[in-house]
Amino acid sequence: MTASNDLQRNTKKHFRLSPAARAFLALALVLLLGFVFNAHGAFFKLGTHRDALRQSSVYGILACGMTLVIISGGIDLAVGSVVALVAVCSALMAIHWNWSPWIVVPLSLLIGATCGAVSGGITALLRVQPFIATLAMMVFARGLAKHVSGGTKISTAIEQADKTYRYAELPKWFRAIDSRVLWGQVSVVTVVCAACLLVAFIALARHVWGRQLYAIGANEEAARLSGVPVIPAKIAAYVASGVFAAIAGICQAAQETQGDPEAGAGYELVAIAMVVIGGTSLMGGRGGVCLTLLGVLIIGYLEKILSINAVPEATRLMLTGIIIVVAVVAQRQRSS
Amino acid sequence: MSDFVFPAVAPLVEMTGITKRFGSNVVLQDVSFNVRAGETHILAGENGAGKSTLIKILGGIHTDFEGTIRLQGREIQPRSPLHSNELGIAIIHQELSLIGPMSSADNMFLGRNKATAGWVHNRLQEQEAAKWLTQLGLDIDPRQPVEQFSIAVRQCIEIAKALSQQARVLIMDEPTSALQEPEVERLFQLVEQLKQQGCGIVYITHKMEEISRIADRITVLRDGKLLGTEAASELPASKLIRWMVGRELGEQFPRRDKQIGTPRLEIANFSVFPQGRSAAPTVRNASFTIGAGEIVGVGGLQGSGASDLFLGLFGAYGNRVSGNVKIDGSTVTIHSPRRVIEAGLALLTSDRKATGLVLRRSIVENIVLPSLSKLARKGWRRPAAEQRVAATMAEKLCLRAASLEMPVAELSGGNQQKVAIAKWLETKPRVLLLDEPTRGIDIGAKREIYELMHQLTRQGIALLLITSEMSELLALSDRVIVMHRGRIMADMPGNVATPDSVLAAAMGGHEADNSLFAGNDIQSTNAPDNESCATNEPVGGE
Amino acid sequence: MLRLHAIVHLLLVIVILAGCSQSEPAAKSAATAGEKPKSDAPAASKTFTIGMSQCNLGEPWRVQMNADIKAAAAQHPNLEVIFKDAQNDTLRQRSHIEEFVSAGVNLIIVSPKEAEPLTEPIANAFRGGIPVIVLDRAVRGDAFTCFIGANNVQIGRAAGKWIAEHIGNDAKIVELKGLMTSIPGQDRHNGFVEGLGGKGKVVFEADMKWLEPEARKEMDSALARFDDIDVVYAHNDPGAHGAYLAVQAAGREKKPLFVGIDALPQEGVAYVSQGILNATFQYPTGGQEAIDTALKILAGEKVPKTITLKSRIFTKENVAAGGAVIEN
Repeated sequence: MTASNDLQRNTKKHFRLSPAARAFLALALVLLLGFVFNAHGAFFKLGTHRDALRQSSVYGILACGMTLVIISGGIDLAVGSVVALVAVCSALMAIHWNWSPWIVVPLSLLIGATCGAVSGGITALLRVQPFIATLAMMVFARGLAKHVSGGTKISTAIEQADKTYRYAELPKWFRAIDSRVLWGQVSVVTVVCAACLLVAFIALARHVWGRQLYAIGANEEAARLSGVPVIPAKIAAYVASGVFAAIAGICQAAQETQGDPEAGAGYELVAIAMVVIGGTSLMGGRGGVCLTLLGVLIIGYLEKILSINAVPEATRLMLTGIIIVVAVVAQRQRSS
Repeated sequence: MSDFVFPAVAPLVEMTGITKRFGSNVVLQDVSFNVRAGETHILAGENGAGKSTLIKILGGIHTDFEGTIRLQGREIQPRSPLHSNELGIAIIHQELSLIGPMSSADNMFLGRNKATAGWVHNRLQEQEAAKWLTQLGLDIDPRQPVEQFSIAVRQCIEIAKALSQQARVLIMDEPTSALQEPEVERLFQLVEQLKQQGCGIVYITHKMEEISRIADRITVLRDGKLLGTEAASELPASKLIRWMVGRELGEQFPRRDKQIGTPRLEIANFSVFPQGRSAAPTVRNASFTIGAGEIVGVGGLQGSGASDLFLGLFGAYGNRVSGNVKIDGSTVTIHSPRRVIEAGLALLTSDRKATGLVLRRSIVENIVLPSLSKLARKGWRRPAAEQRVAATMAEKLCLRAASLEMPVAELSGGNQQKVAIAKWLETKPRVLLLDEPTRGIDIGAKREIYELMHQLTRQGIALLLITSEMSELLALSDRVIVMHRGRIMADMPGNVATPDSVLAAAMGGHEADNSLFAGNDIQSTNAPDNESCATNEPVGGE
Repeated sequence: MLRLHAIVHLLLVIVILAGCSQSEPAAKSAATAGEKPKSDAPAASKTFTIGMSQCNLGEPWRVQMNADIKAAAAQHPNLEVIFKDAQNDTLRQRSHIEEFVSAGVNLIIVSPKEAEPLTEPIANAFRGGIPVIVLDRAVRGDAFTCFIGANNVQIGRAAGKWIAEHIGNDAKIVELKGLMTSIPGQDRHNGFVEGLGGKGKVVFEADMKWLEPEARKEMDSALARFDDIDVVYAHNDPGAHGAYLAVQAAGREKKPLFVGIDALPQEGVAYVSQGILNATFQYPTGGQEAIDTALKILAGEKVPKTITLKSRIFTKENVAAGGAVIEN
């Protein structure tokens, strides 16, 4: 045991680099796919890449929070529903009631944080498995979104008491979120996603809390006996995930120009896939935001390449499934 | 151990000229080893000496090696663990390989179910299982999930499983590391029984007491090379240690000058209620005091409450404790480990893998984990400072690791324990609680930990120690506290305590049944059929 | 591995529990409601109970259908409608129909999720003497009282014709399809091709799964490949709206024509009023017609076996006037 282990340690440096390296390799392969199947040159247009990044942004924002939660040994299935809830609430406040963004954004983040605090509290304090606790929150938040919206989309067409419609102006800041900066080459949502990734990265790499999450994910009992405040740290991870989901929800509403109570269905699975394909372990205690960024790009570009080639839906699903399995199997070989 | 040898019979298993490489590294070089029917053959050596590799070759886990293996004269090539089992070789692993929620019958027949067309004959399996279990003197229901049994019983089930597979050679890898004294004794009786049935037993252990108790022959490995095989009677403990370590260790326990200062930790009427206050406490009204630089050993059998005393003091049971605890004269409110650590207490837990270390994370991360907030500035970590602290600690404790960034899981047991100690030293504790600090580590590393303990006492740290090795308890402690069912039964100076007096108190009175402790107590003689006890071999003690 | 198993099991349990807890109150209300007509049936003042089984309420169009039925029924105080939502679960819808039968409702309206598995339960109810109106999606055979539905092929054809009238011969068309595995998707596509009659060229087509964000993504890809696009035909209004947002974000000078289907008041019709879509074609819910037909059946009148609903077109010009009926 020890002898063989010691030997493997000698090649340790290689193994260290490997998660990131392998994720890079996967990304390179996906991009190569794009070079080969470039859809009559569409892949080489700047706009294609801008759109690929924009389309991955909402998922990417969710993946930030998901990374924190997964590293702490949990999972957050509620993020997709929280996107819908916040999309509906922010659309209601911004479009229907015409409130200032300085009120709408903090309130929206508060809604997300509350959802996270509840599911985090249920797991950490009541010791319910994260899967169950967040599943419950997923169902609950979806229901709340439908309740708040009355089952219809909250759009600029506002039904009045006499069944006629009045048309509200889309708030300027909604338009701003769906616009582009840096000589029109980068979508604002992409910038938001990058900022979220950066914040998550710094928190995880440099803040005491980040280190505590790794310890909790890898061995909760040892962490507790080392004086780590396990319960607050875990709840904070779910709160962070809820806040990121709220940011994603605002971006979703701004891009759709409406709050759709059905929005974000299945987004949690995409976010989890991005985190896991990057190389963060579902068992907790291993991984990081840089890996998640790679995962976001891999899945984002894969979708884009399939889309510009107008690949039929059936083929897309099959290809995506195959690629997820390949990526995860590669990850397991590395970690064992 | 008397020479219980069958000179005429060929060895049960004979391994000759075994060489095994991992890449360019030679981990076993031309090692020969044999096991005879009806003997207990101790395989000794420090961690990393190649014992495990040798066993894994025999067990079919490593299949590419040089050399030959003969089983009763016939050459064999174990291809897989299953194949090796079929050949009659069974390994009882350190970490038991039973499946907790399954019954002992299901575990015993896992992978070779008695079945017709896929339908399992449960009744038949249970009868068969019960037969083997009874043969080992185990009266349990074969339908009960194994996780409901103690580790000792599970070990017996594992042995029963091996026997049910017609195993002739049983390899036991540190089987007593998780056992309490009476269970150890039962295991030894079992070993004796198996010997008489003609099994050959390979036994790996770090405990000198066990070696002198059960060994027929001893083979010592060091750095992948064979140092020799001797009859146990030819190999006194001092020589054995010299062989294993490769240098003179001097005495097993280093000496130190006692300098006991003012009281560090004062406990009065301390009780622990792990199941909540409505349930019975596991520690009742404990009161004692430890001075600066003092080592107090806590003795007791399993369930004595010693571990719960530590966990309770440390805040692991939250506020489910009562009584008065003072550190350096100021009262400590016990609420969570976090608060208690701030007050100057540290706990080295008995199971470093489960509760002591975060195995998947690096050495640095583990060392700084309890002092993260202290090392950080306003919640933001300072990686450079953390590196510096960890490097200093590693140097101080002579930690042997290729890099401080490697996961703790990849270290040997002794080095893991050093990391676990290092992380607590970094919190600058005033009282250090040590629960089995030398469990599962080799003799050289043990010695280093003893020296470290002495060094800490010189700095004025008070040490509370739990150990299941009697010699360690007596040799290291300035005072010995003995617990029985949550109560402190005795509190005596180290030089007064004897194995007999400790055991008597641990049994809850003065008329202790010594035979229960014969395995541990090297001084006491025992039942006549038990010719163990290299009685006069001084294993420990100052 | 073991953990995964446990999780899968738990998930199953949860789903089952969720299913039970949701259907239970509905069953109770049906039972209590069901007692009423039995006691009242002999009485002269007729109070009728109608059971309405909706296959799911996840789509705004189906929410609208229920709202239409409710509004129509509200005009008749002697009608009581019990709504049930099968949440896209065929088996649940089947048991809803059976619950209606055992509760003894006077008439059942079903908007079935699938034809085959629901044919038999509907036929059983029908043969048991309860009139059944099948709404929107047909079932096999003729063991029901009346089918009310719109014709997606006709609607698609109307959209194709309208587009053909507004474009040149070599116009570039993007078709954002719902799901080509679904019958409405296929019908809206086939009718559209027929209606175009060879004018223009479909250069890009993709499934957008009836979802707006997906439609926007697919439109992004179309824009990346083609510099000028003349028409976007989407199989539903949110799809057309998503495509509009994509074009707007791309900052194209020339805006293509946007044509959608469904024309729900708060979606398609609103988009046309706001100048986002150029045209939308109504896919009527039939809620009003269902209640009208139900009243006739309950009064003992004869009704046709099949009623095909007329669609309406909404454009900038006629939206204020409530659109125009399309004559076939």
